[in-house]
Amino acid sequence: MRLSKKDRHVLVRIVSTAALFLVLLVAEHTGQLERLPSVWLLRACYAVPYFLIGYDILWKSLKNVCHLRFFDEEQLMLYATVAAFCIGEYPEATAVMLLFQIGELFQRIAVGKSRKSISDLMDICPVVAYRETDGAIEEVDPEDLVPGDIIVVKAGERVPVDGVVVHGVASLDTAALTGESAPRDVAPGDALYSGCINLNGTLRVEVKKKFEDSTVAIILEMVENASDKKAKTEAFITRFAHVYTPAVIAAAALLALIPPLVLHGDWSEWIRRACIFLVISCPCALVISVPLSFFGGIGAASRAGVLVKGSNCLEAVAKMTTVVFDRTGTLTCGRFSVTDIRPADGDKTALLALAAAAEYYSDHPIAASIRAENQVDLTNFAIGSSETLTGQGVKTEVNDEMVWAGNEALMRSLGHTQQPVETGTAVHVATAARYLGVIVISDSVKPGAAEALCRLKQNGVRRCIMLTGDHVSAAGAAAAELPVDDVRAELLPQDKVAAVEELLKTRSSKETLGFVGDGINDAPVLACADVGFAMGTLGSDAAIEAADVVIMDDDLNKMNAAVRIARKTLRIAKENIAFALGVKAAVLLLGALGIASLWLAVFADVGVMMLAVLNAMRTLRTK
Amino acid sequence: MKKKFKLESVDCAHCAEQMAVLIRKIPGVNDASINFMTQRLIIDADEAAFPEILRLAQKACDRVDDGCVIKV
Repeated sequence: MRLSKKDRHVLVRIVSTAALFLVLLVAEHTGQLERLPSVWLLRACYAVPYFLIGYDILWKSLKNVCHLRFFDEEQLMLYATVAAFCIGEYPEATAVMLLFQIGELFQRIAVGKSRKSISDLMDICPVVAYRETDGAIEEVDPEDLVPGDIIVVKAGERVPVDGVVVHGVASLDTAALTGESAPRDVAPGDALYSGCINLNGTLRVEVKKKFEDSTVAIILEMVENASDKKAKTEAFITRFAHVYTPAVIAAAALLALIPPLVLHGDWSEWIRRACIFLVISCPCALVISVPLSFFGGIGAASRAGVLVKGSNCLEAVAKMTTVVFDRTGTLTCGRFSVTDIRPADGDKTALLALAAAAEYYSDHPIAASIRAENQVDLTNFAIGSSETLTGQGVKTEVNDEMVWAGNEALMRSLGHTQQPVETGTAVHVATAARYLGVIVISDSVKPGAAEALCRLKQNGVRRCIMLTGDHVSAAGAAAAELPVDDVRAELLPQDKVAAVEELLKTRSSKETLGFVGDGINDAPVLACADVGFAMGTLGSDAAIEAADVVIMDDDLNKMNAAVRIARKTLRIAKENIAFALGVKAAVLLLGALGIASLWLAVFADVGVMMLAVLNAMRTLRTK
Repeated sequence: MKKKFKLESVDCAHCAEQMAVLIRKIPGVNDASINFMTQRLIIDADEAAFPEILRLAQKACDRVDDGCVIKV
């Protein structure tokens, strides 16, 4: 770790002062200092290390006094140490200065380290782009690219702006955006997001967005602004610090004056006790460690591919007890696939193959999902002419026999009466003579969704609720596979807002409600929930705008990561508050009673600050 | 309109808070905030007044913590 010039300078002063101070302490304890001819010489001996370590603090304090600014940290140290000197506590005065400087240096290093680890994390900004014009490649600034340009991204390079692959295949490392370590493969026609790294192969890419509208620019902007929005805990500390310092100083003044004047106490004893108050009056441990905890938490979340828009959002996530999920695209894959095959008799494979043959020429998405599911080689089928029956299905000549595939209405016209299926979309298959069976197509539940929800519940979420615009029956089928507590079906987009508002009334004021949507048409709901999560939003800036927490890929388990990080951050912030206040209160009490020494006070002050900062930095490493 | 500036070598969170308070008092400033962690100063003020405001803001910062520089 490299220190700045200023810090190196301070470090040299700390080490030399400490050495000198140690010599003096040894001399004092072995009785050497008592041989000094005058008390002024003794004072001079201690004044050397005192000024060596404290000159800049003294200078700054004096300047502030000239500016009519009183009671900042440095001045408190000045008052405490001068008072200590006056009552003959020379080693204590030097020790207070020395430890104060050590504490300040430590704090600067800790903050610098946290800042660096966040900026490394955010080091996803591409520096150059290679634009291809008429076969020639030139190096340009990513900001100069306009939609329609063709750029070349070689192996090892970062994608500078959002675009579409026109030529080439490659694997991309999307970890900087999604936290996902598995590479993603792209081929011509695929969308490409800025900030990803091309691992192999060369891509020719058509620029779709300008740099400032590209994913990477939007993410950087968001993370940079994240710690502007303060959490309640943070705001509390700022307000507390405003009151705490003046109150302790006032108490110190009273302690130094009242007992000697009123009770005829010993002046030097009560001034000593007041010094303890001054030394402990700095709120640094709190003022630095609480924002540092939240900063670290936001950093840890971005590393996991979860962007949190502010400390307040992180705090709200930690208190989340109800999570409302939008069904399509969030709990389900958002695309159709075959979920059930029910042949009238015979085997499933044959029915599916026949349906695939019948739908061979159809370009309907349902037909595509049937063909995708089919494993049988269709070249063995003689597929003849095919006709699309709009709104009903298709009829196709397969192996010299006419096969119909379609809905109930089509079956009725053939004379095969069928009940509608309870979930999803049915594709019935029949010949003129015989009904062969039905294939059910529906939007399937995401793999891992059930597990993710179970883990959310282990993480303290009490209620999981599913909202959907689908039929009650379809919603029920998805709900059966998932550990959801409640389902609200057949909701229009405006009904979703009403449903969330109604749920918001049922939670207590200490709890929060989260809404998880895919961000495409959920913006009003995302905004009305306490915490809006947008999922799978790589490349969708509208969702990033509306949500409080953005999950870059569509992995529901990231919700758990977010909750875990948020809880840990809040816990660490609270630990620090309780610890710092507890120790300070104890030292104030002991000091007022005359039990604590100045040594104890300064160790308590600097020690608490260091431990609180170290504790706060743990948030950065949360997985 | 809002503008962002980089604030170099702000060493204490408490100082940053005090600087923000002083900058808010500068005539023409609608709002100002300092993000200690990201070392950003955000000033919301009238476009034309910015050069003068920045000069006063730098002065305010010097009063609180010498050596802190506002980078434009």
